[in-house]
Amino acid sequence: MKLLLAHIILPAGLVLTTTPALLSAAEITPDATTIIRFEQRDLGSEEQNLIPVTQYLGLDATKLADGNLSLHVHGWGRVDLDETSYGDSKNSGDLSYGYLRYHIAKTDADIRAGRFFVREGIVNEQVDGISARTDLPFGFTLSAFGGATVHKQDLNNENSDGKGDYLAGGRLGYRYKGLLDIGISGVYEDEAPTLVNHVNGSNRKVGGDIWFSPHRSFELVGHTSYNTETSEVAEHRYLLNLRPATDLTISGEYSDQRDQSLLYTWAMFSAPRINPDNKARLSGVTVSYGAAKPATIFLHYKHYDREAGNADRYGGDLKLNFLDNSLRAGVSYFYLDADDAFAIPGTASASYHNIRAYAMHDTKSYFASVDALCQLFDEDIRNEDTAYEASLSLGYHLTPTLALSGDISYGKNPEYQEETKGLIRLTYNATYATTGGKK
Amino acid sequence: MRALHLTATTSLLAGLIIVLASCGGMKSSPDKFSSHAEYLSAGQQVSCKECHENELKGTMKSMVSFSHTPVFVKSHGHYAATEDRLCASCHKDSFCNDCHASRSEIKPSTLYGYRPDREMPHRGDFMTLHKIEGKLDPASCNTCHGRSNNERCSGCHR
Repeated sequence: MKLLLAHIILPAGLVLTTTPALLSAAEITPDATTIIRFEQRDLGSEEQNLIPVTQYLGLDATKLADGNLSLHVHGWGRVDLDETSYGDSKNSGDLSYGYLRYHIAKTDADIRAGRFFVREGIVNEQVDGISARTDLPFGFTLSAFGGATVHKQDLNNENSDGKGDYLAGGRLGYRYKGLLDIGISGVYEDEAPTLVNHVNGSNRKVGGDIWFSPHRSFELVGHTSYNTETSEVAEHRYLLNLRPATDLTISGEYSDQRDQSLLYTWAMFSAPRINPDNKARLSGVTVSYGAAKPATIFLHYKHYDREAGNADRYGGDLKLNFLDNSLRAGVSYFYLDADDAFAIPGTASASYHNIRAYAMHDTKSYFASVDALCQLFDEDIRNEDTAYEASLSLGYHLTPTLALSGDISYGKNPEYQEETKGLIRLTYNATYATTGGKK
Repeated sequence: MRALHLTATTSLLAGLIIVLASCGGMKSSPDKFSSHAEYLSAGQQVSCKECHENELKGTMKSMVSFSHTPVFVKSHGHYAATEDRLCASCHKDSFCNDCHASRSEIKPSTLYGYRPDREMPHRGDFMTLHKIEGKLDPASCNTCHGRSNNERCSGCHR
């Protein structure tokens, strides 16, 4: 499948984007971001100096051929100019996605071929393969995908990342007017490889999802997933939104998770070895007022109930915007009140306050932002009772699509006694100007 | 190794070519439909229901369900799981990819350091905090780092 992707689909896409007959009405929007980072870390016993250069590159070519074909590509590459920033190599890269899409308007159907992400009900995967989705008569929808698993870096001391080689899945949905959308979905992956130092499991799940809104002031959305390998429900996750007044949303959320079944394919932590009795119940309430208004207020509370102990998190955000959205600011605060069972080994408490404030100004010529974040620990962590980071960013729009910016930040925290970071960023994005376009 | 080197070098060259090419032929921004979603400036939000009373074509769901309130932003995964085609009417795949990459090179809040208004995970010193938050809600880590995007985890978790 990777050969198919590397030698057929992507080259075919590039040919399509460069063939004059197919390009007559095509819209091609490239975007690129070049980032040169300068980082100096004081690790106590040694100092690290890093200068990684990272190039992000994306391309969207639409209205190809008969107008229904499009090509979408995005990836990045990195070269270290000083010490190795991560791992054993001074360079790295990744193709995030690269696929051809054909759209059939009559049934709102899509066919994709290449590397892409699948988000269908309880399924969230990255695939080198083919997917198709269409509306059916009487409110039904159907989607299916299949192909090779996208393998990433091998696990430590293993010759595998723990995933099976092939996977397939899909979703069957049903919609009734504007009231109900329900679906069943699943994924079946090839048998997971046997690992030497880890224990992993095969990625095989089924589940159902629902969106129910008998009135626009009431909305229930959520899903339940079932792990067919452990023969147990992995997770219930639901959200209830009530909108009693314009711009006011009161929400309640609840999730019930069985760790072993939900984290079953997480080989890094040998998830199949997790105690089957480990469960978590998360419940919370949020209140949100204002959207697209000069001020937006968000208050939240969440309760964590785990086998190891309990915790509560509560706080609020205030977001402001002025001058036709060119001036934006915000402050936020939360306090995590957690049982000592969640504390970092060697420390006495897991509770901390989190405070943040930011402001930014974006004009047609320049843009600037300041951002400050601070954590106040109830008990010292590595002899530090506080962690903080302050950042300043300044930039200039060289053209409507091209911007040059630089960031600098300084922080102190238990991990790094001092951390100074800077970067230079050159961003080209054709969709931020001219005909509008997707962001 | 050579393939990675080639990918990185090619990406850098291609990026520079595009950047240089962009210096010519710029067009002015349109002034019509200035409030419509695809014509908004980056980061600008509007309330869809100010103009649209009816349901969203194709989804048969009311506009109000997709207003980008703080609640929506924090729970967008529920909606993306069944309506990612609607998301795609305003957002490129790369918008999701900013955070939901299967292999991420730069922390999103660093990549978009000039956009502190965006909801980005792991701001500041998350190296310390993840030792608390990871025990509290491992499923939230697993969502993005479970089977992919876990290179950084493997540095310590052996």
